[in-house]
Amino acid sequence: MEKKIGVYVCHCGGNISDYVDVEKVRQAIEDEGGVMLAKTTMFACSDSNQKDMVDDIKKNDLNGVVVASCSPKLHLTTFGNVSERAGLNKYNYVHANIREQVSWAHSDDKAGATEKAIHIVRAAIAKARFTESLEPNKIEAQKAVAIIGSGVAGMKAAIELSNMDCPVYIIEREFFIGGRVSQWGAMFTTNETGKEVVTRLYNDMIRRPNVTVFTGAEVITNVGSIGDFKLKVKITPRYVKEKCDRGKLQQAIDACPVVVPDEFNFNITSRKAIYHNFPSEYPQAAVIDMKSCTRCGKCESICDNIDFSQKEEILDIHVGSVLMATGFDPYTPHDGEFGYNEFANVVTLPQFKRMIELNENKLMHQGKEVKNIAYIYCVGSRQEEGGNTYCSRYCCTSAIHASLLVKKKYPSVYNYHFNRGIRTYGKQESLYYDSSAQGDIYLQAYEDALPVVTWNGSNSIVKINDILTGGREMEVEADLVVLVTGMVPRAENSVGTLFKLPKGRDKFFNEIHMKLRPVETFIDGVTIAGACQGPKNIMESVNSALSAATKSFSYVSKGELETEPIVAVIDPVLCTWCDACSKACPFDAISMTKDGTKSIALINNSVCKGCGMCLPVCPTDAIELIAYSNNEIESMIDALAHD
Amino acid sequence: MMSGQSKNISFDALVVGGGIAGGEAALNLASTGFKVLLVEKELSIGGKMIMLSKVFPTLDCAACITTPKVSEISRHPNITIYTGSEVGNINKIAENNFEATIIRKPRYVVIEDCTACQLCEQACPVSVPDQYQYNLVGRKAAFIPFSIASPKAAAIDIDNCILCGACEKVCPTNCIDFTQETEEIQISVKTVILATGFKLFDPLLMPRYGFGLFKNVITSMQMERELAPTRPFNTVLRPGDGKVPDKIAYVLCTGSRDASIGNPICSQICCMYSIKQSQLLMGALPMADVTIYYLNIRSFGKGFEEFYQQAKGMGVNFVKGKIGKIRETENGNGNLILRYEDINEGIVKEAEHDMVILSVGVLPNQDASGFFPKEELKLDPYKFIYQADSLISPARTSIDGVFVAGTASGPMDIPDSILSAGSASAEAISYLIQE
Repeated sequence: MEKKIGVYVCHCGGNISDYVDVEKVRQAIEDEGGVMLAKTTMFACSDSNQKDMVDDIKKNDLNGVVVASCSPKLHLTTFGNVSERAGLNKYNYVHANIREQVSWAHSDDKAGATEKAIHIVRAAIAKARFTESLEPNKIEAQKAVAIIGSGVAGMKAAIELSNMDCPVYIIEREFFIGGRVSQWGAMFTTNETGKEVVTRLYNDMIRRPNVTVFTGAEVITNVGSIGDFKLKVKITPRYVKEKCDRGKLQQAIDACPVVVPDEFNFNITSRKAIYHNFPSEYPQAAVIDMKSCTRCGKCESICDNIDFSQKEEILDIHVGSVLMATGFDPYTPHDGEFGYNEFANVVTLPQFKRMIELNENKLMHQGKEVKNIAYIYCVGSRQEEGGNTYCSRYCCTSAIHASLLVKKKYPSVYNYHFNRGIRTYGKQESLYYDSSAQGDIYLQAYEDALPVVTWNGSNSIVKINDILTGGREMEVEADLVVLVTGMVPRAENSVGTLFKLPKGRDKFFNEIHMKLRPVETFIDGVTIAGACQGPKNIMESVNSALSAATKSFSYVSKGELETEPIVAVIDPVLCTWCDACSKACPFDAISMTKDGTKSIALINNSVCKGCGMCLPVCPTDAIELIAYSNNEIESMIDALAHD
Repeated sequence: MMSGQSKNISFDALVVGGGIAGGEAALNLASTGFKVLLVEKELSIGGKMIMLSKVFPTLDCAACITTPKVSEISRHPNITIYTGSEVGNINKIAENNFEATIIRKPRYVVIEDCTACQLCEQACPVSVPDQYQYNLVGRKAAFIPFSIASPKAAAIDIDNCILCGACEKVCPTNCIDFTQETEEIQISVKTVILATGFKLFDPLLMPRYGFGLFKNVITSMQMERELAPTRPFNTVLRPGDGKVPDKIAYVLCTGSRDASIGNPICSQICCMYSIKQSQLLMGALPMADVTIYYLNIRSFGKGFEEFYQQAKGMGVNFVKGKIGKIRETENGNGNLILRYEDINEGIVKEAEHDMVILSVGVLPNQDASGFFPKEELKLDPYKFIYQADSLISPARTSIDGVFVAGTASGPMDIPDSILSAGSASAEAISYLIQE
């Protein structure tokens, strides 16, 4: 069929036309073979231009459309949909990127940029001459979602999905749900405690028949893709039955001879190998930590609800979408960083928050009452290139909120804040006012001269050249130094690797587009929520969790999904199954099958992403990529290379 | 001109405000299958975002992100849009049952018939300041709001119209209709999302900064327009004399973190948009010096701190100090003298700049507080919509079934507004399902 192609060259406001002579591009291509109309437009993506395109396609019976504008990442779908609305199959639409690849990259050479734009548009037209209508592959979508992590983000997402009548499996690596929030006392800005927040969410979640909660659970394998994730989940037993005589259990705990640091209190206290997780113990059942247990049998002899015969289980879970809510780790300072692990009275902010919870009347540290507290901000955040260069967002407000709590609970303490510019954004600013009003002292360091912590034999001395007093050298003798540590990605992050989730510069999981697709990842069907995406406070985590739940639901709600028909196809005659293609495939989409007696490659259409990695390695040229056939690519190369 | 016309129509959800938050919430609801009425006070949807240049920290062009979203909203079969319309009142009858009055003001143009040919604009003899260009240039009384408006159709500014009829005569489709009257429409809905956005601080309230008195003192939104793809001039210039500026100052925290003008909180976006503008200015005017006067730089979001460091690396000058007073030079060159405390050195200094941009803060839009005659829509101490359960259900308000999205509940940037809209629409969907 003869191709009738419409070409639109976009100014993008001035993003393109400031550097590319858009009209010259239009003139250069208007007489190309197959081009029926060629127009320029201020914003190709605007509603009015989209309407014009629909009219043009219908009126001229176009069967090929090219828009030369921004990156296809932004608007390939937009213009594909325009074609569809005009009754033209969207695979007849070809996108040419003359912004990221031309105007922005060559803003110093307008003539050269225009020339390059002409070539790129010609190449797109060359491709458009070969395009064919394609139908999406339809796959069944399992109406269920797996949520990895049961902190506030995970639980809130589970409740939302349950409301939408979607079965949920929530998979928690720890033996207790609630994540980091369960470890906090009163929190900004409502002063609700972590326990209250976790309790409300847990009680709402656990009463729902379509939510299944697994603790001590880890995803160990994942096969499949969007609509059809088959997960194997390893469940580590608690070795303690849930229904259990509390008195006897306590005796058993008392009898346990093993003492290890208690992670719940960030190692400032210790626990036994058989332990509870008060105050936020959900589910309400003790657990035996088999890594520390010596199998002495003392607990078993006291309490008959202890059951060492419980076995590790492997469960198969089948879901259509996976929602990652794996949270963060608090930054651990290295030895000697502001005196950490060097001087006895240097702790981190999370440890300090547990101390406030654990000390009733007097704030004690290592047997000594604490009077002067020095907070050192931005520990593990805003580091120089090579470290964590990002701001952790929540720590200024969290530290200031802690300083308000501590002053209220122990009125005789003094707070000294050694900061690098306080970032109590938005309404959190009111806490900064309150802290100043209660008499806290703020000292700000120069960026090239951070505070220094030394030891005078009994206390830490924190020294600073203070910006706020014109650079005067000040020092505070502190009974306690609190390192205001930021958020870092989980150290144990194998589940991210399992799903091949991309990470950003900050090593947190990355969204596709901060504004357009903020909870989606490049792995179709996997969404991200909460602080695994980057530092967030609770409200921000919940907002992202609800957005992610809605997105995950949209993948599975209809029971059926459409996937791109742009996949690799094997020519069974040419294929000799040398295995090179399956080794090259990053998505494990290629396996071996039999064609009669002959071994050939088989493409799994729902896993294949159409990336084309298999094509160049095939020695017999037996693979063709739909929509990127040799004809199409070669004609594009010709157009690009032609003067 | 109130007519007795009344219709009774029902929708699943009423979304008040067609900015990025309201639009996103409406799209989420509509894509889940619910019927939405989106009510927008202005003549176009797109809110403040559609007016911006580029957005931090990715430097995507704002129009490139907003226009396709706006397009998707405007043609979604489950979304009905009333522009130029306001909420009269909303009454909660019972759970999942609200009755609302929407006031549709006449546009005096039949949107469906208008082709945006601009002949009426050319014919109209009346010139007034263009509010969509933040008064940098003028527009006619018959006008298309802005080039990427949706709907893209003319409107008659009846307050300034002299009823000469020139527009009617030239209109090729006869779409101008001066007989249109205000309509009051009764609707019933099951849930409400308030996405009424924010107001910018009006720097006239701080006479010591000289806005309105000195022509080369402008607001950050005006600079946003000067840098936008749909900019009024083809370059960055100072309004006093059209000179291209080469020594530009930003005054952060204008109208924020300042109890003396009644807004003690931080506006959350000004540091970043100022840093963004400074980067764009370095690109547009490579020879210009840009200085940002700040109290604390709050680059707290994903990629923000790196963006701040990047601006420093590009040569933007950051000075820690609060501007006390701005005055014009006495020699009539239109330059400005900024008096400030240089906090790093602990001394009061003066500096001359040829253009000053006031980084104005975010104030609550209190419209929504008047929507509910019977129920109490609580506001927080700063007059933003109160979040009744801010940690666990941030979108909940003091009225069950009424949710808040975006900056109506407090200052936030675009990514946070979009996530907040996702949160509000999710809660609204749950509320609708549990009917």
